[in-house]
Amino acid sequence: MFPKRSPKVTIDYSKCGDGGKVDPRECTKCLRACDPAVFIIHESPNMPLDPIDPKFWRITAVWLSLCTRCMKCVEVCPVGAISVSG
Amino acid sequence: MNAKNYSNELAKDMNMEAYLTEQWKAFETIYIRKIAGFSSIDLGYKLQLPIIGRVLRWNAEKMIHSESKNRKAVRGDGHFGQVIPLEEAKIIIGNLAAEPIIENYCMCRWMQRGMKERCCINFGVLSGVIEKLPRFIPQNAKVRLSRDETIARLEEHNRKGYVASVWFQPVPYINAICSCESPECGGLRLRNDFGLNTVYKAEYVMNVNPDKCQGCGSCVSMCQFSAIRLIPSLGRVIVDINKCFGCGVCRHACEHDAMNLLPRDQFLGLRGQY
Repeated sequence: MFPKRSPKVTIDYSKCGDGGKVDPRECTKCLRACDPAVFIIHESPNMPLDPIDPKFWRITAVWLSLCTRCMKCVEVCPVGAISVSG
Repeated sequence: MNAKNYSNELAKDMNMEAYLTEQWKAFETIYIRKIAGFSSIDLGYKLQLPIIGRVLRWNAEKMIHSESKNRKAVRGDGHFGQVIPLEEAKIIIGNLAAEPIIENYCMCRWMQRGMKERCCINFGVLSGVIEKLPRFIPQNAKVRLSRDETIARLEEHNRKGYVASVWFQPVPYINAICSCESPECGGLRLRNDFGLNTVYKAEYVMNVNPDKCQGCGSCVSMCQFSAIRLIPSLGRVIVDINKCFGCGVCRHACEHDAMNLLPRDQFLGLRGQY
Protein backbone atom coordinates (compact mmCIF):
# COMPACT_ATOMS: atom_id res chain seq x y z
CA MET A 1 0.00 0.00 0.00
CA PHE A 2 2.79 2.44 0.81
CA PRO A 3 5.19 3.42 -2.00
CA LYS A 4 8.82 2.43 -2.00
CA ARG A 5 10.99 4.67 0.16
CA SER A 6 13.44 6.89 -1.69
CA PRO A 7 17.14 6.84 -0.89
CA LYS A 8 18.30 9.37 1.70
CA VAL A 9 20.89 11.82 0.44
CA THR A 10 22.29 14.00 3.21
CA ILE A 11 24.69 16.89 2.86
CA ASP A 12 26.89 17.95 5.76
CA TYR A 13 26.51 21.73 5.78
CA SER A 14 29.47 22.12 8.12
CA LYS A 15 31.62 20.96 5.18
CA CYS A 16 29.88 22.64 2.27
CA GLY A 17 27.71 25.73 1.83
CA ASP A 18 26.17 28.22 4.26
CA GLY A 19 29.15 30.52 3.82
CA GLY A 20 31.67 27.88 5.00
CA LYS A 21 34.91 26.78 3.37
CA VAL A 22 33.29 25.58 0.15
CA ASP A 23 30.96 27.83 -1.80
CA PRO A 24 28.64 25.49 -3.73
CA ARG A 25 28.29 28.17 -6.41
CA GLU A 26 31.98 27.74 -7.23
CA CYS A 27 32.09 23.94 -6.92
CA THR A 28 28.84 22.61 -8.50
CA LYS A 29 30.49 19.19 -8.97
CA CYS A 30 27.61 17.16 -7.51
CA LEU A 31 25.03 19.13 -9.48
CA ARG A 32 26.79 18.26 -12.71
CA ALA A 33 27.70 14.67 -11.84
CA CYS A 34 24.13 13.61 -11.14
CA ASP A 35 22.49 12.28 -14.32
CA PRO A 36 18.88 12.55 -13.09
CA ALA A 37 19.67 16.01 -11.60
CA VAL A 38 18.51 15.25 -8.06
CA PHE A 39 20.23 18.26 -6.46
CA ILE A 40 19.14 21.88 -6.25
CA ILE A 41 21.27 24.88 -5.34
CA HIS A 42 19.44 27.54 -3.35
CA GLU A 43 20.11 30.30 -0.88
CA SER A 44 20.66 29.16 2.69
CA PRO A 45 17.68 29.55 4.97
CA ASN A 46 18.15 31.27 8.35
CA MET A 47 21.16 33.25 7.16
CA PRO A 48 21.47 37.05 6.92
CA LEU A 49 19.35 37.88 3.88
CA ASP A 50 20.37 39.96 0.96
CA PRO A 51 17.22 40.11 -1.14
CA ILE A 52 19.05 41.29 -4.24
CA ASP A 53 22.24 39.23 -4.30
CA PRO A 54 22.27 36.42 -1.69
CA LYS A 55 25.73 35.50 -0.38
CA PHE A 56 25.00 32.21 1.39
CA TRP A 57 24.09 29.17 -0.67
CA ARG A 58 23.65 25.47 -0.03
CA ILE A 59 22.74 22.34 -1.96
CA THR A 60 19.79 20.08 -1.15
CA ALA A 61 18.86 16.75 -2.74
CA VAL A 62 15.25 17.39 -3.73
CA TRP A 63 14.16 14.82 -6.31
CA LEU A 64 15.07 11.84 -4.13
CA SER A 65 12.69 9.39 -5.80
CA LEU A 66 14.81 9.71 -8.96
CA CYS A 67 18.08 8.87 -7.18
CA THR A 68 19.57 5.62 -8.48
CA ARG A 69 22.19 5.25 -5.71
CA CYS A 70 24.96 5.37 -8.34
CA MET A 71 27.16 7.16 -5.76
CA LYS A 72 28.70 9.47 -8.36
CA CYS A 73 27.95 12.50 -6.15
CA VAL A 74 29.74 10.89 -3.20
CA GLU A 75 32.79 10.16 -5.35
CA VAL A 76 32.95 13.59 -6.90
CA CYS A 77 32.53 15.70 -3.73
CA PRO A 78 35.94 17.23 -2.91
CA VAL A 79 35.16 17.59 0.83
CA GLY A 80 33.21 14.37 1.37
CA ALA A 81 30.07 16.19 2.44
CA ILE A 82 27.53 13.90 0.72
CA SER A 83 26.31 10.57 2.02
CA VAL A 84 23.71 8.28 0.45
CA SER A 85 21.82 5.67 2.42
CA GLY A 86 18.61 3.67 2.33
CA MET B 1 -2.47 34.23 -29.37
CA ASN B 2 -4.14 37.07 -27.56
CA ALA B 3 -2.10 40.27 -27.81
CA LYS B 4 -3.64 41.59 -24.58
CA ASN B 5 -1.89 38.86 -22.56
CA TYR B 6 1.48 40.31 -23.54
CA SER B 7 0.69 43.97 -22.88
CA ASN B 8 2.28 46.29 -20.36
CA GLU B 9 -1.22 47.60 -19.56
CA LEU B 10 -2.29 44.19 -18.31
CA ALA B 11 0.90 43.98 -16.24
CA LYS B 12 0.14 47.35 -14.72
CA ASP B 13 -3.46 46.42 -13.96
CA MET B 14 -2.28 43.27 -12.21
CA ASN B 15 0.51 45.09 -10.33
CA MET B 16 3.00 42.66 -11.79
CA GLU B 17 6.21 44.43 -10.91
CA ALA B 18 5.87 43.84 -7.17
CA TYR B 19 4.56 40.29 -7.67
CA LEU B 20 7.37 39.25 -10.02
CA THR B 21 10.06 40.89 -7.87
CA GLU B 22 8.90 38.80 -4.93
CA GLN B 23 8.84 35.66 -7.07
CA TRP B 24 12.21 36.12 -8.72
CA LYS B 25 14.31 37.33 -5.81
CA ALA B 26 13.85 33.99 -4.03
CA PHE B 27 12.96 31.69 -6.93
CA GLU B 28 15.64 29.11 -6.03
CA THR B 29 13.94 28.28 -2.74
CA ILE B 30 10.66 27.28 -4.42
CA TYR B 31 11.20 23.53 -3.94
CA ILE B 32 12.54 23.87 -0.40
CA ARG B 33 9.69 26.03 0.82
CA LYS B 34 6.87 24.33 2.69
CA ILE B 35 3.55 24.73 0.96
CA ALA B 36 0.52 23.68 3.02
CA GLY B 37 2.92 21.77 5.26
CA PHE B 38 4.78 19.99 2.45
CA SER B 39 7.93 20.93 0.55
CA SER B 40 8.84 19.43 -2.84
CA ILE B 41 11.65 17.42 -1.22
CA ASP B 42 11.06 13.79 -2.27
CA LEU B 43 7.92 14.86 -4.14
CA GLY B 44 7.90 11.59 -6.10
CA TYR B 45 7.37 9.60 -2.88
CA LYS B 46 4.85 12.02 -1.43
CA LEU B 47 2.69 12.01 -4.57
CA GLN B 48 2.44 8.22 -4.44
CA LEU B 49 1.19 8.13 -0.85
CA PRO B 50 -2.41 7.00 -0.49
CA ILE B 51 -4.90 9.87 0.07
CA ILE B 52 -2.19 12.43 0.99
CA GLY B 53 -0.66 12.00 -2.48
CA ARG B 54 -3.97 12.72 -4.19
CA VAL B 55 -4.60 15.78 -2.05
CA LEU B 56 -1.07 17.05 -2.78
CA ARG B 57 -1.53 16.55 -6.53
CA TRP B 58 -4.89 18.35 -6.48
CA ASN B 59 -3.42 21.22 -4.48
CA ALA B 60 -0.35 21.47 -6.74
CA GLU B 61 -2.50 21.60 -9.89
CA LYS B 62 -4.68 24.26 -8.27
CA MET B 63 -1.60 26.36 -7.49
CA ILE B 64 -0.02 25.92 -10.92
CA HIS B 65 -3.16 27.15 -12.67
CA SER B 66 -4.28 29.60 -9.98
CA GLU B 67 -5.99 32.80 -11.07
CA SER B 68 -7.05 33.64 -7.53
CA LYS B 69 -6.48 37.08 -6.06
CA ASN B 70 -4.72 35.53 -3.07
CA ARG B 71 -2.08 33.69 -5.03
CA LYS B 72 1.43 33.85 -3.63
CA ALA B 73 4.42 34.87 -5.72
CA VAL B 74 6.98 32.85 -3.73
CA ARG B 75 5.18 29.61 -4.59
CA GLY B 76 5.16 30.42 -8.30
CA ASP B 77 1.35 30.33 -8.42
CA GLY B 78 -0.17 30.58 -11.87
CA HIS B 79 3.14 29.84 -13.58
CA PHE B 80 2.80 27.34 -16.41
CA GLY B 81 3.69 27.18 -20.07
CA GLN B 82 3.46 25.47 -23.40
CA VAL B 83 6.03 24.09 -25.80
CA ILE B 84 6.04 25.90 -29.14
CA PRO B 85 7.88 25.32 -32.40
CA LEU B 86 10.43 27.91 -33.52
CA GLU B 87 8.00 29.44 -36.06
CA GLU B 88 5.54 30.41 -33.33
CA ALA B 89 8.29 31.73 -31.07
CA LYS B 90 9.37 34.00 -33.91
CA ILE B 91 5.84 35.34 -34.34
CA ILE B 92 5.59 36.07 -30.61
CA ILE B 93 8.92 37.88 -30.45
CA GLY B 94 8.37 39.67 -33.76
CA ASN B 95 4.87 40.96 -33.05
CA LEU B 96 3.54 40.39 -29.56
CA ALA B 97 6.28 40.59 -26.92
CA ALA B 98 6.35 43.86 -24.98
CA GLU B 99 9.56 45.91 -24.82
CA PRO B 100 12.15 45.72 -23.39
CA ILE B 101 13.29 42.23 -24.39
CA ILE B 102 16.22 40.79 -22.46
CA GLU B 103 18.26 37.62 -22.55
CA ASN B 104 19.41 36.47 -19.12
CA TYR B 105 20.87 33.42 -17.40
CA CYS B 106 18.44 30.49 -17.24
CA MET B 107 16.97 30.02 -13.76
CA CYS B 108 16.41 26.28 -14.09
CA ARG B 109 19.89 25.38 -15.30
CA TRP B 110 21.32 27.49 -12.49
CA MET B 111 19.23 25.74 -9.82
CA GLN B 112 19.70 22.22 -11.15
CA ARG B 113 23.26 22.32 -12.44
CA GLY B 114 24.83 25.47 -11.03
CA MET B 115 25.37 26.50 -14.63
CA LYS B 116 24.98 29.97 -16.09
CA GLU B 117 23.59 29.61 -19.58
CA ARG B 118 22.50 32.75 -21.39
CA CYS B 119 19.35 31.59 -23.14
CA CYS B 120 16.25 32.78 -21.27
CA ILE B 121 14.23 35.41 -23.16
CA ASN B 122 12.05 37.60 -20.96
CA PHE B 123 10.03 40.60 -21.92
CA GLY B 124 7.77 43.35 -20.66
CA VAL B 125 7.68 44.17 -16.96
CA LEU B 126 9.66 41.03 -16.05
CA SER B 127 12.74 42.37 -17.89
CA GLY B 128 13.00 45.29 -15.49
CA VAL B 129 12.56 42.97 -12.51
CA ILE B 130 15.33 40.57 -13.59
CA GLU B 131 17.70 43.40 -14.50
CA LYS B 132 17.82 44.31 -10.79
CA LEU B 133 19.05 40.81 -9.82
CA PRO B 134 22.77 40.60 -10.62
CA ARG B 135 23.01 36.79 -10.55
CA PHE B 136 20.88 36.48 -13.68
CA ILE B 137 22.53 39.22 -15.69
CA PRO B 138 25.20 38.04 -18.14
CA GLN B 139 28.61 39.70 -17.97
CA ASN B 140 30.29 40.75 -21.22
CA ALA B 141 27.17 40.24 -23.28
CA LYS B 142 24.31 42.35 -24.48
CA VAL B 143 21.33 42.04 -22.13
CA ARG B 144 18.68 44.10 -23.90
CA LEU B 145 18.10 42.79 -27.41
CA SER B 146 16.20 44.05 -30.42
CA ARG B 147 13.47 41.85 -31.88
CA ASP B 148 15.72 40.67 -34.70
CA GLU B 149 18.59 39.87 -32.35
CA THR B 150 16.23 37.92 -30.10
CA ILE B 151 14.90 35.86 -33.00
CA ALA B 152 18.47 35.07 -34.08
CA ARG B 153 19.36 33.94 -30.55
CA LEU B 154 16.20 31.80 -30.30
CA GLU B 155 17.05 30.10 -33.57
CA GLU B 156 20.58 29.44 -32.32
CA HIS B 157 19.24 27.77 -29.16
CA ASN B 158 16.65 25.76 -31.11
CA ARG B 159 19.31 24.41 -33.46
CA LYS B 160 21.36 23.35 -30.45
CA GLY B 161 18.43 21.18 -29.36
CA TYR B 162 16.80 23.48 -26.80
CA VAL B 163 13.01 23.37 -26.77
CA ALA B 164 11.21 26.71 -27.12
CA SER B 165 8.40 27.25 -24.63
CA VAL B 166 6.21 30.20 -23.76
CA TRP B 167 5.19 30.98 -20.16
CA PHE B 168 2.42 32.56 -18.15
CA GLN B 169 3.92 34.23 -15.14
CA PRO B 170 1.33 34.43 -13.64
CA VAL B 171 -1.65 33.54 -15.80
CA PRO B 172 -2.87 35.37 -17.93
CA TYR B 173 0.25 37.54 -18.27
CA ILE B 174 2.82 36.13 -20.74
CA ASN B 175 6.39 37.34 -20.35
CA ALA B 176 8.94 34.65 -21.20
CA ILE B 177 10.14 32.35 -23.95
CA CYS B 178 12.51 29.74 -22.59
CA SER B 179 14.88 27.36 -24.35
CA CYS B 180 14.48 24.27 -22.22
CA GLU B 181 16.30 21.05 -21.64
CA SER B 182 14.99 17.99 -19.85
CA PRO B 183 15.51 17.18 -16.98
CA GLU B 184 16.99 20.60 -16.04
CA CYS B 185 13.83 22.57 -16.78
CA GLY B 186 11.66 22.78 -13.66
CA GLY B 187 8.46 22.67 -15.70
CA LEU B 188 9.46 19.69 -17.79
CA ARG B 189 10.72 17.93 -14.66
CA LEU B 190 7.35 18.22 -12.91
CA ARG B 191 5.52 17.18 -16.08
CA ASN B 192 7.68 14.27 -17.20
CA ASP B 193 8.69 12.83 -13.84
CA PHE B 194 5.65 13.60 -11.71
CA GLY B 195 2.79 14.10 -14.18
CA LEU B 196 1.92 17.64 -13.07
CA ASN B 197 0.62 19.90 -15.85
CA THR B 198 3.26 22.63 -15.63
CA VAL B 199 4.04 22.47 -19.36
CA TYR B 200 1.62 21.61 -22.13
CA LYS B 201 2.57 20.03 -25.43
CA ALA B 202 2.59 22.09 -28.62
CA GLU B 203 -0.32 22.19 -31.06
CA TYR B 204 1.72 19.95 -33.35
CA VAL B 205 3.24 16.54 -33.47
CA MET B 206 6.25 15.30 -35.46
CA ASN B 207 5.73 13.28 -38.62
CA VAL B 208 8.45 11.27 -40.36
CA ASN B 209 8.23 10.65 -44.09
CA PRO B 210 9.25 6.96 -44.41
CA ASP B 211 10.27 7.38 -48.05
CA LYS B 212 12.66 10.24 -47.32
CA CYS B 213 14.12 8.98 -44.01
CA GLN B 214 17.51 7.36 -44.60
CA GLY B 215 17.83 5.92 -41.13
CA CYS B 216 20.85 7.99 -40.16
CA GLY B 217 19.41 8.58 -36.70
CA SER B 218 20.77 12.12 -36.24
CA CYS B 219 17.37 13.31 -35.06
CA VAL B 220 17.36 10.82 -32.17
CA SER B 221 20.04 12.75 -30.29
CA MET B 222 18.06 16.01 -30.60
CA CYS B 223 14.91 14.80 -28.83
CA GLN B 224 14.61 15.94 -25.20
CA PHE B 225 11.63 13.64 -24.64
CA SER B 226 13.00 10.28 -25.90
CA ALA B 227 10.19 10.18 -28.44
CA ILE B 228 12.30 9.14 -31.46
CA ARG B 229 13.93 5.75 -31.92
CA LEU B 230 16.00 4.34 -34.77
CA ILE B 231 14.76 0.94 -35.96
CA PRO B 232 17.64 -0.64 -37.87
CA SER B 233 15.51 -3.38 -39.47
CA LEU B 234 13.08 -0.80 -40.89
CA GLY B 235 15.93 1.44 -41.92
CA ARG B 236 14.19 4.50 -40.51
CA VAL B 237 13.21 6.23 -37.28
CA ILE B 238 9.84 5.93 -35.57
CA VAL B 239 8.19 8.64 -33.45
CA ASP B 240 6.23 7.87 -30.32
CA ILE B 241 3.56 10.53 -30.76
CA ASN B 242 2.33 10.03 -27.23
CA LYS B 243 5.72 11.25 -26.00
CA CYS B 244 6.28 13.87 -28.73
CA PHE B 245 5.84 17.46 -27.51
CA GLY B 246 5.80 18.86 -31.04
CA CYS B 247 8.73 21.23 -30.46
CA GLY B 248 10.19 20.54 -33.91
CA VAL B 249 13.78 20.64 -32.68
CA CYS B 250 14.62 17.31 -34.39
CA ARG B 251 14.01 18.88 -37.80
CA HIS B 252 17.28 20.79 -37.53
CA ALA B 253 19.27 17.54 -37.51
CA CYS B 254 17.55 16.03 -40.56
CA GLU B 255 19.55 16.35 -43.76
CA HIS B 256 16.97 14.56 -45.89
CA ASP B 257 13.94 16.80 -45.31
CA ALA B 258 12.08 13.81 -43.87
CA MET B 259 10.51 15.50 -40.85
CA ASN B 260 7.59 17.89 -40.67
CA LEU B 261 5.12 19.03 -38.05
CA LEU B 262 1.45 18.12 -38.36
CA PRO B 263 -1.38 19.62 -36.32
CA ARG B 264 -2.05 17.54 -33.23
CA ASP B 265 -5.79 17.61 -34.02
CA GLN B 266 -5.25 15.45 -37.11
CA PHE B 267 -4.41 12.47 -34.93
CA LEU B 268 -7.64 11.11 -33.52
CA GLY B 269 -5.90 9.48 -30.59
CA LEU B 270 -4.21 12.75 -29.58
CA ARG B 271 -7.16 15.12 -29.76
CA GLY B 272 -7.32 17.27 -26.67
CA GLN B 273 -4.14 15.74 -25.27
CA TYR B 274 -1.64 18.43 -24.55
